[in-house]
Amino acid sequence: MSEPLLSVRDLRVWFPVGDGLFKPKRSLRAVDGVNFELRAGEALGIVGESGCGKSTLARAILRLVPSSAGQIVWMGQRIEGWSSSRMRSLRSELQVVFQDPLASLDPRMTVGEIVAEPLRVHAPELDGNARRERVADILQRVGLSADVINRYPHEFSGGQCQRIGIARAMVLRPKLLVCDEPVSALDVSIQAQIVNLLADLKRDFGMSILFVSHNLAVVRKLCERVLVLYLGKPMELAPTAALYEAPRHPYTQGLLAAVPIPDPRLQPARLGTALGGELPSPLAPPSGCVFRTRCPRAVARCADEVPELEVVAGEHQVACLRWQE
Amino acid sequence: MKPVLDIRDLGVCFATPDGEVRAVNEFSLQIAPGECIGIVGESGAGKSQSFLAVMGLLPANAVVSGSARLGDQELLGADDAVLNSVRGVDLAMIFQDPMTSLTPHIRIGEQIAESVIRHRGASRDEARRRALELLQLVQVTDAERRLDQYPHELSGGMRQRVMIAIALACDPKMLIADEPTTALDVTIQAQILALLAQLKRERGMSMVLITHDLGVVAGVADRVAVMYGGRVVEQGPVSQILLAPRHPYTRALLASMPRIDEVGNEPLQAIAGQPPNPRRLPAGCAFHPRCQSVQTECREQRPTLLPEGERWLACHHPETREVSS
Repeated sequence: MSEPLLSVRDLRVWFPVGDGLFKPKRSLRAVDGVNFELRAGEALGIVGESGCGKSTLARAILRLVPSSAGQIVWMGQRIEGWSSSRMRSLRSELQVVFQDPLASLDPRMTVGEIVAEPLRVHAPELDGNARRERVADILQRVGLSADVINRYPHEFSGGQCQRIGIARAMVLRPKLLVCDEPVSALDVSIQAQIVNLLADLKRDFGMSILFVSHNLAVVRKLCERVLVLYLGKPMELAPTAALYEAPRHPYTQGLLAAVPIPDPRLQPARLGTALGGELPSPLAPPSGCVFRTRCPRAVARCADEVPELEVVAGEHQVACLRWQE
Repeated sequence: MKPVLDIRDLGVCFATPDGEVRAVNEFSLQIAPGECIGIVGESGAGKSQSFLAVMGLLPANAVVSGSARLGDQELLGADDAVLNSVRGVDLAMIFQDPMTSLTPHIRIGEQIAESVIRHRGASRDEARRRALELLQLVQVTDAERRLDQYPHELSGGMRQRVMIAIALACDPKMLIADEPTTALDVTIQAQILALLAQLKRERGMSMVLITHDLGVVAGVADRVAVMYGGRVVEQGPVSQILLAPRHPYTRALLASMPRIDEVGNEPLQAIAGQPPNPRRLPAGCAFHPRCQSVQTECREQRPTLLPEGERWLACHHPETREVSS
């Protein structure tokens, strides 16, 4: 197999938390030992509840927050220690789309300026005409007409703003697009448009996508593999079909059971199987398996032993002491 | 049976500097004792505005017409004394964001007790005991200790449980829940929905569940009303509406939602365009610019909401094909 586009090895992101003047500093382990590889052209979903570390993981890979330990290998180069000026040379290959479409666009710039800005910075050799052509081309590609270039972000709906954000990210033809909850702020009918657009762009440009989302149904549509995080730790990493049809980790099973299905024959019974409890404080994670306090299958040894990711079959890995039982 | 809440021909209109905005038109709904009605629609469909009007909670520039009777009491146009004797007593409402609905500097126990003291004339000790009972009823863990905590010390799910406890303080006949789980993780959403379903079952309380998620409706509601552009376009028993939708919008909305139990990665059936701006509603049927079965009369004449068995439908050319599922 060819070299992965991105390898993340035992990545940790710990934030120091001061409790007060005289108390010792503690660490909040937002991401605590994550491993995965991302292939060219592949979409990997990162899922879990709020506070599981999925956004922090994405930001650490983009080097928007510093990592505490571990490696981030981009096309064979370790980049976790790179300075921000050195990182700039990678920005054209590694782009991001954020959740709030309007807040991520500068209100004083026209759409044309917003989408052209990455080109000014990363492709200064292009003259005005070439730049305009690239901008018009990508705007059309994301489903916006060329006449939007002289308008301002506030004139657009949430879905259109997200298209503008995607155009800005795509104008440099990145190898990796990191999407942090890109459809969560949108109306249901608009979500589908954006999901389809991302799927089309991925296919046509052959880029990889790191798709951070709490919406497991959207992830199933778009991603080839899925990583499930809980309190900063990987619980399960599997090809999409395996994860959704035969989840091995009790947490994955609980997450999937909680997603409502618009079928009144099935849904009332599903409500009764909801995962109990809430995410414990990341400042005081449980010993052993971090999920054990909510796990319906937890036994005494789950408090003592930390489960490592083990191979179930092929690319399907799970971190549970009892997955074979 | 006499409905608990009888809404007839409700209209909500806002006077704005740019002219009149009609948010809700000809909204009629009867809710039977112990019944749960789901109100579904996208942003601007008028679902929240309808029930804020019923509660008398709209801003001063709103003009409300029609009738909403709780038992024998007319609510629309009633003075504050009447509304205050009804709101929080027979008719309670909970909102999307529990943090902004709770007072940040008052302890949880006192906020629940306030309602019991004000409306039931309970003593402080009685009210505190009642507050504890209510917290236990809504399954707040460690309820005794929570009484003396402040809202910021609670998680989002616990805060929504506290809001439900406050709403239940005076045994309301009817609970209006406006997107009660939208801000919560899917696991916590499932817990809150299971709680609401249980309260409805055990207490015979009527409920209105306002949501954008048809899956949420499927688990709890008996009937569902689908709104678009300020009007109900289809209404009926939840199994008929979700399993055999006849309005093209209902059908399109269902088809645009990715389902967790759906295999395959063919593109989602997105609805083109975007929800209409209430300021500039299209002529004829408000859905016609996005409708796949649009014909000439749809552009010119607004379809009337007409009964069809147990269902109500507003469409010139309703779908007749069976839904495959």
